[in-house]
Amino acid sequence: MTEVMIEARNVSKAFGTVRALDDVSILVPRGTVLGLLGHNGAGKTTLVNVLTTLLKPTSGSASVAGLDVVSQGDRVRGRIGLTGQFASVDENMSGIDNLVLIARLLGATKKQATTRAGELLGTFDLTEAKDRPAKTYSGGMRRRLDLAASLVGRPDVIFLDEPTTGLDPMSRIGLWEIVEGLVDDGTTVLLTTQYLEEADRLADTITVLSKGKVVAAGTAAELKAGVGKRTVSVVLAEPEDAATALNALSRAGLHPVHDKVRHSVTTPVEKSTDLATVVRALDEVGVEVGELALTEPTLDDVYLAVNTEAPAA
Amino acid sequence: MTTTVQATTPTGEVPRRDDLGWHGSSFATQVWVLTQRSLNTFLRDPRMMFFSLLQPLVMLLLFSQVFGGISQLGSLHQWGSYINYLLPSTLVTTAMTSAMSSGVGLLTEMSNGVIARFRSMPVSLFSVLLARSLSDTVRMAIQLVVMLIAAALLFGFTPAGGMLGVAAALLVSLVVGWGLGWLFLAIATWVKKAETMQAVAFLTMFPLMFGSSAYMPVSTMPGWVQMIANVNPLSYAIFASRGLATTIWEANPAYTLIASLAISGVIALIGGFIATRNFRRTN
Repeated sequence: MTEVMIEARNVSKAFGTVRALDDVSILVPRGTVLGLLGHNGAGKTTLVNVLTTLLKPTSGSASVAGLDVVSQGDRVRGRIGLTGQFASVDENMSGIDNLVLIARLLGATKKQATTRAGELLGTFDLTEAKDRPAKTYSGGMRRRLDLAASLVGRPDVIFLDEPTTGLDPMSRIGLWEIVEGLVDDGTTVLLTTQYLEEADRLADTITVLSKGKVVAAGTAAELKAGVGKRTVSVVLAEPEDAATALNALSRAGLHPVHDKVRHSVTTPVEKSTDLATVVRALDEVGVEVGELALTEPTLDDVYLAVNTEAPAA
Repeated sequence: MTTTVQATTPTGEVPRRDDLGWHGSSFATQVWVLTQRSLNTFLRDPRMMFFSLLQPLVMLLLFSQVFGGISQLGSLHQWGSYINYLLPSTLVTTAMTSAMSSGVGLLTEMSNGVIARFRSMPVSLFSVLLARSLSDTVRMAIQLVVMLIAAALLFGFTPAGGMLGVAAALLVSLVVGWGLGWLFLAIATWVKKAETMQAVAFLTMFPLMFGSSAYMPVSTMPGWVQMIANVNPLSYAIFASRGLATTIWEANPAYTLIASLAISGVIALIGGFIATRNFRRTN
């Protein structure tokens, strides 16, 4: 039987009259990634805080590595790594001093701490900047240092709260690769994100939160199947071809719509081969394509599919 | 029916994947490592160090020069020069200012994120507070020693108590500053915002400083201020510091000494209790 590393059982958390979490249950087997998807205020961070012992649940219970987060808080803290939305490092201290400090607090000797800090600085490409105060680091470097700090004790459960929010695309991809490396090593990860794309890439299973409630759960493929459709939109080189294009696509078994403003024809598609169908159908009737785009469903589409209001942005 | 994953009630700790043997450090190690860290931050920031050492000197210069004339007062004659009267009390008021910056320091750290890191680690949060209290007391000691040296060299501070008396006065001031440090840490964990902290601190500090014998003998003040000065805990500390340094006691020596140390202890205890409570992880 696969070991359960993170589990929440009917967890609710109320702040006064606001129910930040409402009867939330999750289960994360060892070595897998759970993506917690939701907009701002959906309750993602509150759930992370409950699981990392920073907040007590109002009702329900939760455990990490088989330890109860309320009654065995200190032992849970010894097993986890947490990277929050804001870098939790001492800005006045250098990269290496930050990591050494954490290793020492975890119980390493000075020598062990220095060795471990060196390893992590290498892995996270921070060796050159190791002696500079963290406040001189770029956003991406700071996030890497923060993640390195969470990994000092080689925890087998890590929590990443919106790890890529505010990062540039290059740093974002770099961070994804680091997380994938951790998972390959058998680390269990709970990751919160606002981006379906990120959850899709990293998570084995996804739980969608809205207003403190679980509104959908499953694999990325299952969720997307529920959302249905990716869409193909074709911007026509000659706007007057619209009627011809609509006809051709209908004949090919698709359900196209005409967008008059953008001079484009848009159609939901089921399978990836449908993209070829679109191109072939248009080619046969001689319609010239200006631009062609395949759009993935977004978090909002997931929300709409589960009949939940997406909060106003 | 077979499932690979079942909902479980926790039956025990899942073994670690790879165990470095780092299962948390002892309380003493935590306090030691964290104290070193705070001190290093201070020592490695020359600008911060310079200004925190300069501030009491500027105060001393201002007060000794602006109020120097009052040494003509009959009640001040016995101290010789005003600096001999002023410096022992400045030790105490500087310790108080330094204690206040301890609270501000904690708030700065809480906003800079490193405290958030400690909260998610197997670290006692009391050790975080204790380390701050200890490192700030060391910082305070450096400040006061620099001030004493400058006073002796530049301002003609020649107390009758000699080195030993001055050392004792310094010690009393440190104990008082340490106690007040816990008070300001408690305020910091309560107000949670640096701006509010400053406002509360000034409201506490100025009445305590001026409603005491820090700058003027209590006998020269109007009756109602005298009443305040006589119940002001800072007055006892100032009487004790001045008595030890100059051998001129304005109140019963044993009484002022015991009162100032006992009040500091009580403040430290209550402040420490409140700060630790407010600083807890979960609510």
